[in-house]
Amino acid sequence: MIASDAQLPQRAGRPHLSFGDVFAREKTLVTPGSLFIVLFVMAAIRGPHLLSSDGLAGALIGAGPLVIATMAITAIAIAGPAGVDLSVGPVMTFINIELVLKVPDPLRGPVAFFAIAIGIGIALQVAMATLVAVLRVSTVVVTLAVYLIVDGLNTVILPQPGGEAPSWLANWGAGSHVFSPVLYVLLATFALWALISRTTLFRNIRLMGANDRTAFVSGVRLIPTRLGAHAIAGIFVGIASIMYTGLIGSADPTAGQSFTLSTVTALVIGGASLAGGRARALGSVLGAVDMWLISYVLTTINFGLNASYWVQLTTGAVLVLALLAGGVLSDLAGLRQNRAQARAHI
Amino acid sequence: MSSVNVSLTDARAVVTQYRNLAMSGVVLVGLVIFGATTIDGFWSLLNLRQNLVFASFLGIASIGQTLCALIGGLDLSIAFVIGAANIGIVKFFNLGWSSALAVLVILCAAAGVGALSGLISSRQRGQDLVVTLGVGTALLGLVQIAVSSGGNSGVSGGMIMGTVPKWITNLTSLDSAIGFAPSVVLWAVLAAITMLLLRRTWVGRGLYALGGNQTAAERVLIPRRWMWILVYAVSAVTAASAGILLLGFTGGGYAAVGNPYLFTTIAAVLIGGTSLVGGQGGYGLTMMGVLILTVLQTILSGYSLSYSAQEAIYGALIIPMVALYARSPHPRTLV
Repeated sequence: MIASDAQLPQRAGRPHLSFGDVFAREKTLVTPGSLFIVLFVMAAIRGPHLLSSDGLAGALIGAGPLVIATMAITAIAIAGPAGVDLSVGPVMTFINIELVLKVPDPLRGPVAFFAIAIGIGIALQVAMATLVAVLRVSTVVVTLAVYLIVDGLNTVILPQPGGEAPSWLANWGAGSHVFSPVLYVLLATFALWALISRTTLFRNIRLMGANDRTAFVSGVRLIPTRLGAHAIAGIFVGIASIMYTGLIGSADPTAGQSFTLSTVTALVIGGASLAGGRARALGSVLGAVDMWLISYVLTTINFGLNASYWVQLTTGAVLVLALLAGGVLSDLAGLRQNRAQARAHI
Repeated sequence: MSSVNVSLTDARAVVTQYRNLAMSGVVLVGLVIFGATTIDGFWSLLNLRQNLVFASFLGIASIGQTLCALIGGLDLSIAFVIGAANIGIVKFFNLGWSSALAVLVILCAAAGVGALSGLISSRQRGQDLVVTLGVGTALLGLVQIAVSSGGNSGVSGGMIMGTVPKWITNLTSLDSAIGFAPSVVLWAVLAAITMLLLRRTWVGRGLYALGGNQTAAERVLIPRRWMWILVYAVSAVTAASAGILLLGFTGGGYAAVGNPYLFTTIAAVLIGGTSLVGGQGGYGLTMMGVLILTVLQTILSGYSLSYSAQEAIYGALIIPMVALYARSPHPRTLV
């Protein structure tokens, strides 16, 4: 503890990075990166259609919602501690239902849709952040409660999948051309993340996640910072639900649970530390793409009636193996640091 | 740490525990009065006995979740283990195994899977959530593949048919000699054992120590890794037991039978007043949580609310309950 506190001012000022620092920063990308390469090669061999223009377009709209939702919960994971947002699936589904069923005709254009989706996303996330920051109830508990509330409400509002998305959005799901709005929205989302992650607010979120006591004594205001982290997540959840609405072209109240599970899985494969402070959008994006590639590769194999069970088995196994691989890597990288810290303690 | 400090923390923990017990008691009594005055037949013996059967499923599945919470972990695999045990054992019956052997094999396999979760989770703090999620998902996928392979007794839509032995069906039957279903008695016995183990044995006290302060517990030679393995193994065994009891209740295997238990076991732990941070609480509190959820469920069904609406209300209950007694300290008090 003493050793890491002493290092902090130096790190915040960003002097030159030693090799160890660079490795420590990039090692989280090793697992999702190598998984991506293996899966991509398998996908290219088993289903070369992926590499065609409409194959890529299908991949963009198929993986898009998961990619953006995983970026959303990355912001919360960084804010730590134990910042797992379990509510993401039901919240995304909730926005999906509101967009498809509740938005009146004059507001069914792209600008209004984005504004409404992002607005609902931010509102829900900031409400959760208020509970976390002001009541000081842990993130897992609050997001679990909101998961139950919103998931229940979704089915009450809309018991069966139904409704119809406006045609401009429903066309996204066709995925026939790479250079489509889907690609531009994805690129704009990445650019937005790049911008946000360079702000002072974001640096404060990282510091708070790494050690809230240090952040507190450094003058970071913890409550606004946590609200900020969740507001960022809300923006991305909103965009993710628009893309999801485009993918399915309707409203589906049943998708919440599985979407939460896939998003959290993608986050962890992406190398995010659930202890807080350390998570990278690039890792999360790779993790989400990995998840999509797993299902793509599995669809190229004919399992007959058992296909969904195989998807379950493989997803679970990959999750555990990715954790184990990540653990071994960080054991190796952390060995030297831990010894030094242990010596400092004695 | 001076001894004064320690005894102060001690006293505070004791006060917290009784305060939580008292608060959940008040909520339970309030709900029972509300139900008894507004719903016809709520107070009948039949309804009471039926409710206790439901409570016994959740109660037994929550034993493991409580132990996990006490060491600062969570078990998200409970729902999947329940489902896997539920359909796995039907497959064994269909293969002509004796029922006792089938139960034994299922419980041992569950212990093995749980131990694996515990072993992996113990490597790094904070990963238990995803480890149990991954192990659970993989397990249920594997068991469904295994159950549907070979012969025509396959699963369709996660369902599997078979003949369930009479004694397993009787476990949840209301017309037994003692007046209560045997599953309720089983729950009471398991609860007594759990509470005794937690209070009176070295292992039980070790769990509290580990949840309270991991570093200190390791310094007094409490084997952290073995504790995690033990706790998650127990959790899987209690989940599998609940899965077998549910089979007796419904009469047919169904892979998704455990789904409501994914989060209600955590809700029971939280509403009872055991903190997820670890080291505080106990199974007595969880039993209160289980009873509260069961009574609440009866009331909400009495008002003919759907399962989804009930789910939403459970969720809305968790935040105020936790805010009352499990808030984390402000960083300013820790600097």
